[in-house]
Amino acid sequence: MTNANFNIYVLIKQVPDTGSKAGVNPDGTIDRARAKRMMNPFDKFALQAALHTKKEYGGTVTAISMGPPPAKEILLEAIEHGADAGVLLSDRRLAASDTLATSYALTKVIEYLNTEKNHPADLIFAGLQTTDGDTAQVGPEIAERLGVMQVTYCEDFSLEGTTLVARRIVEGGHTVVATPLPALVTVANAYTPLAYKSLRGAKKVQYLARTPEVEAEYISVIDLDVVNADPMLAGLKGSPTIVGKTWKIGEVGGSCVVRQGQSVANMVTDVLDATPVDEFLNKKEAVPV
Amino acid sequence: MTDAEATKKPAEQPAEPELPLFETNVGGQVMIVAELTDGQLAPVGLELLSMGRELADKLGNPLSCVVIGHNLGDVPNTLGHYGADIVYVADHAELAQYRTMPYKRVMCDLMESLEHPPHIVLMGSTTTGRDLAPRVAAHFLTGLTADVIEMDIGPYEHTNKADPEKVGLYEGCLYAVRPSFGESLKARILGPWKNPQMATARPGVFVPLQPDTNRSFEVKAIPVNLTAEDTALTIRDVVVELNKNVDLTAADVVIAGGYGLADAEGFKLMEELASCFDNAVVGASRKAVDAGWIPYVHQVGQTGKTVRPKLYIACGISGAIQHRVGMSKADTIIAINKDPDAPIFGFADHGIVGDLYQVVPEMIAQLKRQITAA
Ligand SMILES: Cc1cc2nc3c(=O)[nH]c(=O)nc-3n(C[C@H](O)[C@H](O)[C@H](O)COP(=O)(O)OP(=O)(O)OC[C@H]3O[C@@H](n4cnc5c(N)ncnc54)[C@H](O)[C@@H]3O)c2cc1C
Ligand SMILES: Nc1ncnc2c1ncn2[C@@H]1O[C@H](COP(=O)(O)O)[C@@H](O)[C@H]1O
Repeated sequence: MTNANFNIYVLIKQVPDTGSKAGVNPDGTIDRARAKRMMNPFDKFALQAALHTKKEYGGTVTAISMGPPPAKEILLEAIEHGADAGVLLSDRRLAASDTLATSYALTKVIEYLNTEKNHPADLIFAGLQTTDGDTAQVGPEIAERLGVMQVTYCEDFSLEGTTLVARRIVEGGHTVVATPLPALVTVANAYTPLAYKSLRGAKKVQYLARTPEVEAEYISVIDLDVVNADPMLAGLKGSPTIVGKTWKIGEVGGSCVVRQGQSVANMVTDVLDATPVDEFLNKKEAVPV
Repeated sequence: MTDAEATKKPAEQPAEPELPLFETNVGGQVMIVAELTDGQLAPVGLELLSMGRELADKLGNPLSCVVIGHNLGDVPNTLGHYGADIVYVADHAELAQYRTMPYKRVMCDLMESLEHPPHIVLMGSTTTGRDLAPRVAAHFLTGLTADVIEMDIGPYEHTNKADPEKVGLYEGCLYAVRPSFGESLKARILGPWKNPQMATARPGVFVPLQPDTNRSFEVKAIPVNLTAEDTALTIRDVVVELNKNVDLTAADVVIAGGYGLADAEGFKLMEELASCFDNAVVGASRKAVDAGWIPYVHQVGQTGKTVRPKLYIACGISGAIQHRVGMSKADTIIAINKDPDAPIFGFADHGIVGDLYQVVPEMIAQLKRQITAA
């Protein structure tokens, strides 16, 4: 079944790459200027879900991000993977946005795009959570503001016409839900990993790099005024929460004694000597040697 | 500042103006939401009641608890015994299973019907709480702190002049403390400008109170008015993957295998290692379970079991936060992983960087030698 008209959005965020050690201070905080940047790993699952929907059921995929200008990099990356276009909301007045202010700004972008395309979003995919914000709130807050259905913790889905059938993770198992569109789906990391970049996508991005006038057709960088957003509801001013003080968590990341590079036998002996394994050994049954 | 210090100040520098004082506590309830799994009270609800009780007593306000479901039986009374002053009950056939929209409707209708908005609203940081809480917070355009591990009530001085009307001293604020930067820091999040001040709390960190069957409390039925839109999402299937034969929680030793095992065969090696110990069982990460290598009953973590064995040996497990929350309280954790940067080395006690297919057989051999020598 194909419905070539599905209007699919995917929300992706650029986050500091904490895996590479650059820009990570000894206390665990991040120096954003020095840190490497990457697409939020959870959002790669969301992107895969959006591209899968396009491939299986038809439609177009627009990747949407909010952040400083370098966030354009992940929109280009999304195009390399097969997204049709990218939109970056970038505005100094967005600084220090908490989840409510972020959801406001992104909702305004979605409403703006819906009007531009003359077709409201059918499916909006978001990552489960970000590695820097780590709240899992932005997706559901956008769904509430848009007044659309939501499925969070989605690990698999299919479409039956315009009904989304989704499997969502719950404590003790999973549930399968069916909902009419439009819907916002937050995609869990149990979903299919992002496929490789497509040759076509990669070529397209190489071409865009050489021809900035064409690039502008695929990547639009817009500010709060373009989407008709009230700056009082965005950024620091629009954020009902604030970070008070922070502390180091003492025991984390310190106490593990890691053995590396010696012979396997030595490392094992060393660990077994250091642990009270003796107490738990199975001395009752004869263990075959 | 002492008087002496104040007089030392040069005369031309005017004294700091007094900050305007804002009282955030206008008597609103502390409200917690109790969750049900399969008709049973989830432990996190009782944990929240104990935390909520402490916050309500500090504020001098009532503690209420909302329970939503169908055929709730004695659940409301239990919630009263565990500390609620008021138990709000929404009992309706359409509410039998958790669904975002009907539950959100019930919560928002209730909160709007109160004289004051609740001062604080707490839910569990579970797949349900993390689905419902942001929806409710966005409805009220209020703040929400995720995954809280500590809470308190206290004052907050806001001095940032970017937003001049907000500058002031706020009393009676919720201090919601959460891990940040990959669990290396704790941050206190405040949302004093608007009630309710909302948070989701990580399961397993607060300790429930002892139930007291003599406590007095009120049970109030709340009206349920759902629209066709609210019930447009239907549940096709609920898969509870429980099986009582594997008792992970009672084991002294858990030998856990992850995606690093690479196939189902790998769990044979885990069993062999487990057989070297007394009262040992095999556990698994969700990724190993999802790969179909081992049944769900063996899963440890946020959506599996929480275990507290004396010894936990993690083989080929990266140590994702959702796994960690289910096992970090083990007395001793040994991690075997070929990646020296795997997060599990950040919180294990002993680590071996190496291929588990070399390390585990060696460990089995050495343990067997110890057993025969004993
Ligand atoms: C809502 C939600 C709930 C979740 N609940 C849970 C839960 O309850 N429990 C849970 O475990 N997860 C849960 N997860 C998933 C969790 O986020 C991780 O994806 C999962 O724990 C990863 O499993 P893993 O460590 O086995 O796999 P990976 O992260 O893929 O790690 C495999 C590790 O094996 C190592 N390795 C590979 N080969 C070898 C070898 N030969 N020798 C030694 N090491 C090797 C690798 O270096 C790597 O570190 C949940 C996720 C979500 C979104
Ligand atoms: N600045 C942003 N730009 C685009 N998407 C975002 C942004 N912040 C959050 N999101 C989306 O919301 C999800 C949850 O984020 P969070 O609530 O921060 O954990 C992310 O995985 C993204 O899909």
